[in-house]
Amino acid sequence: MTFTISAPPHKKENITFKKIMWAKVLALMPVVLLSVYLFGLPAIGLVAASIFAAIATEAAIQKAFGQKITIADGHAVLIGLMVAMIIPPEVPLWIPMIGTVFAVGIGKHAFGGIGSYVFNPVLAAWLFLSLAWGSIMAPTSYPQTSALFELVLENGAGVIAGVSPFFILLAGAVLIFRRYIEWRIPVAFFVTTVLLAFLLGDSLSYVILGVVVFGALFIATDTSTSPTTKNGRVIYGIVCGVLVVVYGHFANYVDGTFYGLFLANCVASLIDNSTLPASYGTETFLQRKYRSIVSKIPFKDRLEVFLDD
Amino acid sequence: MTNVYVMEKIPEKIIIPLKQHDGCLCTPLVNKGDMVSMGQKIGECECYDSASIHSSVCGEVISIEEAANPNGTKVNSVIIQPAEAVECVDLTPVKDVSASKLVDVIKDAGIVEHYGTPTHKVLRPEGKQIDTVLINATSSEWIGGHYDTSAQYASQMIDALKLLMKAAGASKGAVVLRNDDLESINAFDHLRIDGKLLTVAPLMGKRKLSYYFKDMGSDIIVVSQERIYGQKILDLLTYNLTGRRVSFCCDPTDVGVAICGVKSAKALYDAVHEGRPYIETVVSVSGKVNSPKKILVKIGTPFKDVIDACGGYMGEPGKLIANGAVTGVAQYTDDVPVTKMTTSITVLSADEVIRDVSIDCTHCARCADVCPVDLIPSRITAFADRGRFDECRQMNILNCVECGRCSAVCPSKIHLLQLIRYAKNSIENAYEDLSSKESPANLKLGCGCSGGN
Repeated sequence: MTFTISAPPHKKENITFKKIMWAKVLALMPVVLLSVYLFGLPAIGLVAASIFAAIATEAAIQKAFGQKITIADGHAVLIGLMVAMIIPPEVPLWIPMIGTVFAVGIGKHAFGGIGSYVFNPVLAAWLFLSLAWGSIMAPTSYPQTSALFELVLENGAGVIAGVSPFFILLAGAVLIFRRYIEWRIPVAFFVTTVLLAFLLGDSLSYVILGVVVFGALFIATDTSTSPTTKNGRVIYGIVCGVLVVVYGHFANYVDGTFYGLFLANCVASLIDNSTLPASYGTETFLQRKYRSIVSKIPFKDRLEVFLDD
Repeated sequence: MTNVYVMEKIPEKIIIPLKQHDGCLCTPLVNKGDMVSMGQKIGECECYDSASIHSSVCGEVISIEEAANPNGTKVNSVIIQPAEAVECVDLTPVKDVSASKLVDVIKDAGIVEHYGTPTHKVLRPEGKQIDTVLINATSSEWIGGHYDTSAQYASQMIDALKLLMKAAGASKGAVVLRNDDLESINAFDHLRIDGKLLTVAPLMGKRKLSYYFKDMGSDIIVVSQERIYGQKILDLLTYNLTGRRVSFCCDPTDVGVAICGVKSAKALYDAVHEGRPYIETVVSVSGKVNSPKKILVKIGTPFKDVIDACGGYMGEPGKLIANGAVTGVAQYTDDVPVTKMTTSITVLSADEVIRDVSIDCTHCARCADVCPVDLIPSRITAFADRGRFDECRQMNILNCVECGRCSAVCPSKIHLLQLIRYAKNSIENAYEDLSSKESPANLKLGCGCSGGN
């Protein structure tokens, strides 16, 4: 009888990076299908070209550098899909292909592959394309959610990601429920954005858009470009929200989302480093203040119920 | 009350390691060919850091040799072939003894905590004073013992707690239960100690034991808290219950807290009331065996025989684990004996064996979300992997309770627990002989307690 020996733990959760990536791809599929209704078949061509270029780039780079080829983990597919989703569907097909080559080649692999990149490859590609071919990348229309039905199918959407806020939200909610994506960042981001936009007097019909929801749930939660600490993720969500509103208030919330999130990526690691949790049992600033105030109260033995020990 | 089965069949051979605790190896008191009887002392050490070893059966010593131990090493062991006749040494109860005598009783009976320290060393550490004794009953796998009713369990625990407090010279004592373990809570509720009605108090918010001692006006209380598990939970448990921080290189005894397990409490009760040394223990057998159960076995019974008593393997076994699937040690043979530190045996089938390949960390923060002591395991392991142990220490790696949750949830399948242990061991080894090299005056360890210098 042979027994395997290994270090503990001997039981693990059945979760892999591959599973998370393919779940995200699958979750975005309803929106892609819905976009065919709005944009026609070119939308499918755009997505296909983009994913093809992403896979080819990843394979070529990993082959060239003698690395293990990791197309199957779905990360390249997800990048390709997400790049296609934030590009106007009328563009010639070489645009998304150049975009994904940039996303996978420069955005992901030049920085060291999964887990090491500083900027979200999808945003990097969008920024690159917008700066290089500004006139082609400008969407034909900027959406406005004027009726409740527009939350399900947004007629004015300029990109695939903006087609349906409801379906993106549903996909994100399912992924959060399965714990495939994080909840602190989207919640903090969304609350901050809506609150700030409201205070600045922006009409919410320009704020609650498919692209903003997509940004909150799928772009901002990208694990490598967001902080790891619990408090850090809340702060990151707030920073994202503030930056998006700053751009959105003076321009529009579609471009504002991408610019804002790209800028928030820059500070993610700084937030991470400055919110490292203290050892358990360490008093926070407020607790220290509270204790120092309470200790000055006379006759405090009568208050011993409130004072621990 | 969970049924505990008694293993009736005497195995063909009994392997009794001469070291079933952390500390010195005992010297054998018997020779090859000697006849031993049940309960006879067969190993002893003068050193304070050890507990005596007793034979759990009656039979002939067939050899004294190095044999496999469930902790993965080989230990000098006495191998006994049980005889037909059951001959037992005279068991004399030791009631009403003085506190210092009680410590000798504990040492003589060979009582050891499930985490390895001999119980007498926990209760009477050299140069330290214990003021609070805790019985940790928070993990169900440690509730080992053979009781008729749950009320009997509760009253025996309280009696054992009194004995432990007496031995330690402590004024206060508490039994700590788990919030969702209703069976035990019901057993302790409405029990009378010294005519006073007992209530199980759940630990709330930031309140510590001192509050409850005051609130109940009693020196013996029973509280309940969330389940915490892991290999090194003692420091966290001490903090949760008493609010005392245990510094680096120290253990709970340094801050005056002695933590005992349910098993050692039961063993002490038996030693005092029946005079029986620690020769049998309850292990829970789970996983791919035909009838998983809790079973009372004699210390030294090979795992093989324990599994046979549980109906044998179900299919081809892939992994045999001592002490829990999360933090336990995988065995390379089923010829290892049950020792005083064995609490459970888990069998995994061949297709349950994990064969994952690690990939890069994606900073998904799932590990940080599940960590019970607020660490950032992904970052710590990145440092540990590169040998940057000082940074690990700055990130409070020594708080880690080694529960293995971070490894279990990692989608990149990184061996987080292993790397953290590697770093912790390296840090501890680096400071191990520091006090002998350096004088305490120019030594700044950040250690406020008396231990270490």
